[in-house]
Amino acid sequence: MRVRIAAAAIGLVFGITLCWSGMSSPDVIRGALLFEQSYLFLFFASAVGTAALGLALLRRRDRRALLIDTPLVWTRDSPARRHIIGSLLFGIGWGVAEACPGPIATQIGQGIGWAVFTLVGTVAGVYLFLRRSLPETEPALDVEPSANPAMSPAVG
Amino acid sequence: MLHHQLAWFVAGPVMGLCVVACRALFNGRLGVTGGFSELVSKLSRGSFSFDWRGWFAIGLFASGTVFLVLWGGPDFHGYGWMTRTFHGSAQIWIPVLLLASGGLIGFGAKLAGGCTSGNGLSGTAALSPASLAATATFFATAIVVSFLIKAVI
Repeated sequence: MRVRIAAAAIGLVFGITLCWSGMSSPDVIRGALLFEQSYLFLFFASAVGTAALGLALLRRRDRRALLIDTPLVWTRDSPARRHIIGSLLFGIGWGVAEACPGPIATQIGQGIGWAVFTLVGTVAGVYLFLRRSLPETEPALDVEPSANPAMSPAVG
Repeated sequence: MLHHQLAWFVAGPVMGLCVVACRALFNGRLGVTGGFSELVSKLSRGSFSFDWRGWFAIGLFASGTVFLVLWGGPDFHGYGWMTRTFHGSAQIWIPVLLLASGGLIGFGAKLAGGCTSGNGLSGTAALSPASLAATATFFATAIVVSFLIKAVI
Protein backbone atom coordinates (compact mmCIF):
# COMPACT_ATOMS: atom_id res chain seq x y z
CA MET A 1 0.00 0.00 0.00
CA ARG A 2 2.77 2.42 0.97
CA VAL A 3 4.60 1.48 -2.22
CA ARG A 4 1.54 2.29 -4.34
CA ILE A 5 1.00 5.66 -2.66
CA ALA A 6 4.69 6.49 -3.10
CA ALA A 7 4.59 5.45 -6.76
CA ALA A 8 1.51 7.59 -7.44
CA ALA A 9 3.18 10.55 -5.69
CA ILE A 10 6.35 10.10 -7.77
CA GLY A 11 4.16 9.93 -10.90
CA LEU A 12 2.52 13.20 -9.88
CA VAL A 13 5.86 14.99 -9.32
CA PHE A 14 7.33 13.49 -12.50
CA GLY A 15 4.31 14.54 -14.57
CA ILE A 16 4.00 18.08 -13.21
CA THR A 17 7.71 18.60 -13.92
CA LEU A 18 7.19 17.20 -17.41
CA CYS A 19 4.35 19.65 -18.04
CA TRP A 20 6.12 22.60 -16.41
CA SER A 21 9.18 22.03 -18.58
CA GLY A 22 6.93 22.20 -21.66
CA MET A 23 7.42 18.56 -22.69
CA SER A 24 3.69 18.00 -23.24
CA SER A 25 3.83 20.42 -26.15
CA PRO A 26 4.57 18.83 -29.56
CA ASP A 27 6.25 22.05 -30.70
CA VAL A 28 8.74 21.97 -27.81
CA ILE A 29 9.71 18.39 -28.74
CA ARG A 30 9.88 19.33 -32.42
CA GLY A 31 12.05 22.37 -31.72
CA ALA A 32 14.50 20.14 -29.88
CA LEU A 33 14.58 17.35 -32.47
CA LEU A 34 15.22 19.94 -35.21
CA PHE A 35 18.08 21.36 -33.07
CA GLU A 36 16.33 24.72 -32.86
CA GLN A 37 16.18 24.68 -29.05
CA SER A 38 18.72 23.29 -26.59
CA TYR A 39 16.35 23.09 -23.60
CA LEU A 40 15.36 19.41 -24.00
CA PHE A 41 18.94 18.22 -24.28
CA LEU A 42 20.11 20.21 -21.25
CA PHE A 43 17.04 19.06 -19.31
CA PHE A 44 17.56 15.44 -20.32
CA ALA A 45 21.30 15.44 -19.63
CA SER A 46 20.83 16.99 -16.19
CA ALA A 47 18.11 14.44 -15.40
CA VAL A 48 20.35 11.52 -16.43
CA GLY A 49 23.32 13.03 -14.58
CA THR A 50 21.34 13.46 -11.36
CA ALA A 51 19.87 9.97 -11.60
CA ALA A 52 23.27 8.43 -12.38
CA LEU A 53 24.83 10.15 -9.38
CA GLY A 54 21.98 9.06 -7.12
CA LEU A 55 22.06 5.46 -8.33
CA ALA A 56 25.84 5.33 -7.95
CA LEU A 57 25.48 6.48 -4.33
CA LEU A 58 22.78 3.87 -3.70
CA ARG A 59 25.02 1.20 -5.12
CA ARG A 60 28.05 2.05 -3.04
CA ARG A 61 26.99 -0.05 -0.09
CA ASP A 62 24.67 -2.99 0.34
CA ARG A 63 21.57 -0.97 0.84
CA ARG A 64 17.98 -2.16 1.15
CA ALA A 65 14.82 -0.50 -0.16
CA LEU A 66 13.17 1.82 2.35
CA LEU A 67 9.55 0.70 1.89
CA ILE A 68 9.93 -3.02 1.24
CA ASP A 69 12.45 -5.52 2.49
CA THR A 70 14.56 -6.10 -0.58
CA PRO A 71 18.15 -5.36 -1.53
CA LEU A 72 18.79 -2.58 -4.03
CA VAL A 73 20.07 -4.56 -7.00
CA TRP A 74 19.71 -4.14 -10.73
CA THR A 75 21.27 -5.60 -13.83
CA ARG A 76 22.84 -3.99 -16.86
CA ASP A 77 21.56 -5.74 -19.99
CA SER A 78 23.62 -6.21 -23.12
CA PRO A 79 22.18 -4.69 -26.29
CA ALA A 80 20.16 -7.13 -28.38
CA ARG A 81 18.30 -6.85 -31.68
CA ARG A 82 15.02 -6.07 -29.95
CA HIS A 83 16.47 -2.96 -28.28
CA ILE A 84 17.47 -1.55 -31.67
CA ILE A 85 14.39 -2.60 -33.66
CA GLY A 86 12.01 -1.58 -30.88
CA SER A 87 13.71 1.80 -30.55
CA LEU A 88 13.60 2.34 -34.32
CA LEU A 89 9.82 1.80 -34.29
CA PHE A 90 9.49 3.92 -31.16
CA GLY A 91 11.64 6.70 -32.66
CA ILE A 92 9.46 6.88 -35.79
CA GLY A 93 6.32 7.20 -33.67
CA TRP A 94 7.95 9.75 -31.38
CA GLY A 95 9.19 11.84 -34.33
CA VAL A 96 5.78 11.92 -36.02
CA ALA A 97 3.54 12.41 -32.97
CA GLU A 98 6.12 14.58 -31.12
CA ALA A 99 5.12 12.86 -27.90
CA CYS A 100 6.38 9.84 -26.00
CA PRO A 101 4.41 7.91 -23.35
CA GLY A 102 4.94 10.39 -20.48
CA PRO A 103 3.72 13.41 -22.43
CA ILE A 104 0.87 11.35 -23.94
CA ALA A 105 -0.38 10.76 -20.38
CA THR A 106 0.05 14.42 -19.35
CA GLN A 107 -1.65 15.62 -22.55
CA ILE A 108 -4.63 13.43 -21.68
CA GLY A 109 -4.61 14.85 -18.15
CA GLN A 110 -4.56 18.36 -19.63
CA GLY A 111 -7.63 17.52 -21.72
CA ILE A 112 -5.89 17.70 -25.11
CA GLY A 113 -8.41 15.98 -27.41
CA TRP A 114 -5.95 14.96 -30.14
CA ALA A 115 -3.95 12.96 -27.60
CA VAL A 116 -6.81 10.44 -27.31
CA PHE A 117 -5.76 9.06 -30.71
CA THR A 118 -2.12 8.73 -29.68
CA LEU A 119 -3.16 7.04 -26.43
CA VAL A 120 -5.48 4.59 -28.19
CA GLY A 121 -2.67 3.73 -30.62
CA THR A 122 -0.19 3.26 -27.79
CA VAL A 123 -2.56 1.07 -25.78
CA ALA A 124 -3.20 -1.01 -28.92
CA GLY A 125 0.54 -1.38 -29.51
CA VAL A 126 1.17 -2.47 -25.92
CA TYR A 127 -1.85 -4.82 -26.03
CA LEU A 128 -0.66 -6.37 -29.28
CA PHE A 129 2.74 -6.97 -27.73
CA LEU A 130 1.23 -8.53 -24.62
CA ARG A 131 -1.17 -10.65 -26.69
CA ARG A 132 1.70 -12.11 -28.65
CA SER A 133 2.92 -13.14 -25.19
CA LEU A 134 6.41 -12.02 -25.98
CA PRO A 135 8.69 -12.04 -22.98
CA GLU A 136 8.16 -9.23 -20.49
CA THR A 137 10.68 -6.52 -21.26
CA GLU A 138 9.80 -3.79 -18.80
CA PRO A 139 11.31 -4.86 -15.53
CA ALA A 140 8.89 -4.15 -12.74
CA LEU A 141 11.40 -5.62 -10.35
CA ASP A 142 10.76 -7.15 -7.06
CA VAL A 143 7.46 -5.74 -5.92
CA GLU A 144 4.96 -8.58 -5.81
CA PRO A 145 6.83 -10.87 -8.19
CA SER A 146 4.18 -13.53 -7.62
CA ALA A 147 1.44 -11.25 -8.97
CA ASN A 148 2.64 -11.77 -12.53
CA PRO A 149 4.37 -15.06 -13.31
CA ALA A 150 5.59 -13.68 -16.64
CA MET A 151 7.51 -11.04 -14.72
CA SER A 152 10.41 -13.06 -13.53
CA PRO A 153 12.61 -11.43 -10.92
CA ALA A 154 15.56 -12.33 -13.11
CA VAL A 155 15.74 -8.73 -14.16
CA GLY A 156 17.01 -6.82 -11.15
CA MET B 1 0.30 30.16 -10.37
CA LEU B 2 2.90 28.66 -12.72
CA HIS B 3 3.73 30.98 -15.58
CA HIS B 4 7.04 30.22 -17.17
CA GLN B 5 8.81 27.14 -18.40
CA LEU B 6 10.72 25.75 -15.44
CA ALA B 7 14.51 26.20 -15.76
CA TRP B 8 16.16 23.06 -17.15
CA PHE B 9 18.62 22.91 -14.27
CA VAL B 10 15.68 22.57 -11.89
CA ALA B 11 13.41 20.36 -14.02
CA GLY B 12 16.14 17.88 -15.02
CA PRO B 13 17.38 17.11 -11.50
CA VAL B 14 13.78 16.73 -10.24
CA MET B 15 13.18 14.09 -12.94
CA GLY B 16 16.47 12.42 -11.98
CA LEU B 17 15.45 12.36 -8.32
CA CYS B 18 12.21 10.58 -9.29
CA VAL B 19 14.35 7.79 -10.76
CA VAL B 20 16.43 7.63 -7.58
CA ALA B 21 13.29 7.66 -5.40
CA CYS B 22 11.79 4.64 -7.22
CA ARG B 23 15.03 2.75 -6.70
CA ALA B 24 15.60 3.78 -3.09
CA LEU B 25 12.01 3.31 -1.91
CA PHE B 26 11.00 0.04 -3.59
CA ASN B 27 13.85 -1.01 -5.91
CA GLY B 28 11.88 -0.08 -9.02
CA ARG B 29 13.02 1.09 -12.42
CA LEU B 30 10.98 4.18 -13.28
CA GLY B 31 9.38 3.81 -16.71
CA VAL B 32 6.15 5.13 -18.19
CA THR B 33 5.73 2.28 -20.69
CA GLY B 34 5.93 -0.19 -17.81
CA GLY B 35 3.07 1.71 -16.19
CA PHE B 36 0.97 1.67 -19.37
CA SER B 37 1.73 -2.02 -19.78
CA GLU B 38 0.62 -2.79 -16.24
CA LEU B 39 -2.66 -0.87 -16.70
CA VAL B 40 -3.37 -2.52 -20.07
CA SER B 41 -2.50 -5.99 -18.83
CA LYS B 42 -4.61 -5.79 -15.64
CA LEU B 43 -7.57 -3.89 -17.13
CA SER B 44 -7.82 -6.32 -20.06
CA ARG B 45 -8.34 -9.05 -17.47
CA GLY B 46 -10.86 -6.94 -15.53
CA SER B 47 -8.51 -6.44 -12.61
CA PHE B 48 -7.84 -3.20 -10.76
CA SER B 49 -5.09 -4.46 -8.46
CA PHE B 50 -2.22 -2.61 -10.11
CA ASP B 51 1.37 -2.92 -8.97
CA TRP B 52 3.49 0.21 -8.37
CA ARG B 53 3.99 0.77 -12.11
CA GLY B 54 0.24 1.14 -12.62
CA TRP B 55 -0.02 3.62 -9.76
CA PHE B 56 2.92 5.58 -11.12
CA ALA B 57 1.03 5.89 -14.43
CA ILE B 58 -2.17 6.93 -12.66
CA GLY B 59 -0.21 9.67 -10.87
CA LEU B 60 1.15 10.75 -14.24
CA PHE B 61 -2.31 11.05 -15.83
CA ALA B 62 -3.51 12.99 -12.77
CA SER B 63 -0.50 15.32 -12.95
CA GLY B 64 -1.72 16.72 -16.28
CA THR B 65 -4.98 17.75 -14.65
CA VAL B 66 -3.22 19.23 -11.61
CA PHE B 67 -1.01 21.22 -13.98
CA LEU B 68 -4.07 22.34 -15.97
CA VAL B 69 -5.53 23.88 -12.80
CA LEU B 70 -2.25 25.47 -11.63
CA TRP B 71 -1.37 26.83 -15.09
CA GLY B 72 -4.94 27.96 -15.78
CA GLY B 73 -5.32 26.02 -19.04
CA PRO B 74 -3.35 23.65 -21.25
CA ASP B 75 0.14 24.93 -22.04
CA PHE B 76 -0.36 24.66 -25.80
CA HIS B 77 -3.14 24.75 -28.39
CA GLY B 78 -3.67 22.84 -31.60
CA TYR B 79 -1.30 19.95 -32.15
CA GLY B 80 2.10 21.09 -33.41
CA TRP B 81 2.97 20.68 -37.06
CA MET B 82 -0.12 18.57 -37.71
CA THR B 83 -2.77 21.22 -37.08
CA ARG B 84 -0.62 23.78 -38.93
CA THR B 85 -0.31 21.52 -41.97
CA PHE B 86 -3.71 19.86 -42.26
CA HIS B 87 -6.82 22.04 -42.60
CA GLY B 88 -10.46 21.31 -43.35
CA SER B 89 -11.17 17.79 -44.52
CA ALA B 90 -7.42 17.05 -44.68
CA GLN B 91 -7.53 17.03 -40.86
CA ILE B 92 -8.59 13.39 -41.15
CA TRP B 93 -4.86 12.69 -41.49
CA ILE B 94 -4.22 13.81 -37.93
CA PRO B 95 -6.05 10.92 -36.19
CA VAL B 96 -4.62 8.50 -38.75
CA LEU B 97 -1.04 9.66 -38.08
CA LEU B 98 -1.53 9.81 -34.31
CA LEU B 99 -3.07 6.33 -34.13
CA ALA B 100 -0.26 4.87 -36.26
CA SER B 101 2.42 6.71 -34.25
CA GLY B 102 0.86 5.53 -31.01
CA GLY B 103 0.95 1.94 -32.25
CA LEU B 104 4.65 2.24 -33.07
CA ILE B 105 5.35 3.96 -29.74
CA GLY B 106 3.55 1.29 -27.69
CA PHE B 107 4.81 -1.78 -29.52
CA GLY B 108 8.31 -0.37 -30.08
CA ALA B 109 8.79 0.66 -26.47
CA LYS B 110 7.64 -2.75 -25.23
CA LEU B 111 10.00 -4.52 -27.63
CA ALA B 112 12.91 -2.28 -26.65
CA GLY B 113 12.18 -2.68 -22.94
CA GLY B 114 11.49 0.97 -22.34
CA CYS B 115 10.72 4.40 -23.73
CA THR B 116 12.29 7.81 -23.16
CA SER B 117 11.93 7.34 -19.41
CA GLY B 118 12.63 3.61 -18.90
CA ASN B 119 15.58 3.34 -21.27
CA GLY B 120 16.46 6.98 -21.87
CA LEU B 121 16.43 8.14 -18.27
CA SER B 122 16.49 5.20 -15.85
CA GLY B 123 18.46 2.82 -18.06
CA THR B 124 21.17 5.22 -19.15
CA ALA B 125 21.54 6.49 -15.58
CA ALA B 126 22.13 2.88 -14.49
CA LEU B 127 24.75 2.67 -17.29
CA SER B 128 22.94 -0.24 -18.95
CA PRO B 129 24.49 -0.88 -22.39
CA ALA B 130 21.12 -2.01 -23.77
CA SER B 131 19.50 1.25 -22.66
CA LEU B 132 22.36 3.34 -24.07
CA ALA B 133 21.95 1.60 -27.44
CA ALA B 134 18.16 2.01 -27.32
CA THR B 135 18.42 5.70 -26.39
CA ALA B 136 20.93 6.47 -29.14
CA THR B 137 18.67 4.66 -31.62
CA PHE B 138 15.41 6.36 -30.76
CA PHE B 139 16.92 9.83 -30.48
CA ALA B 140 18.66 9.44 -33.85
CA THR B 141 15.50 8.04 -35.46
CA ALA B 142 13.24 10.76 -34.09
CA ILE B 143 15.70 13.46 -35.24
CA VAL B 144 15.82 12.00 -38.77
CA VAL B 145 12.03 11.69 -38.88
CA SER B 146 11.59 15.31 -37.74
CA PHE B 147 13.92 16.58 -40.46
CA LEU B 148 12.13 14.40 -43.05
CA ILE B 149 8.77 15.86 -42.01
CA LYS B 150 10.24 19.36 -42.19
CA ALA B 151 11.52 18.64 -45.70
CA VAL B 152 8.15 17.30 -46.90
CA ILE B 153 5.69 19.84 -45.44
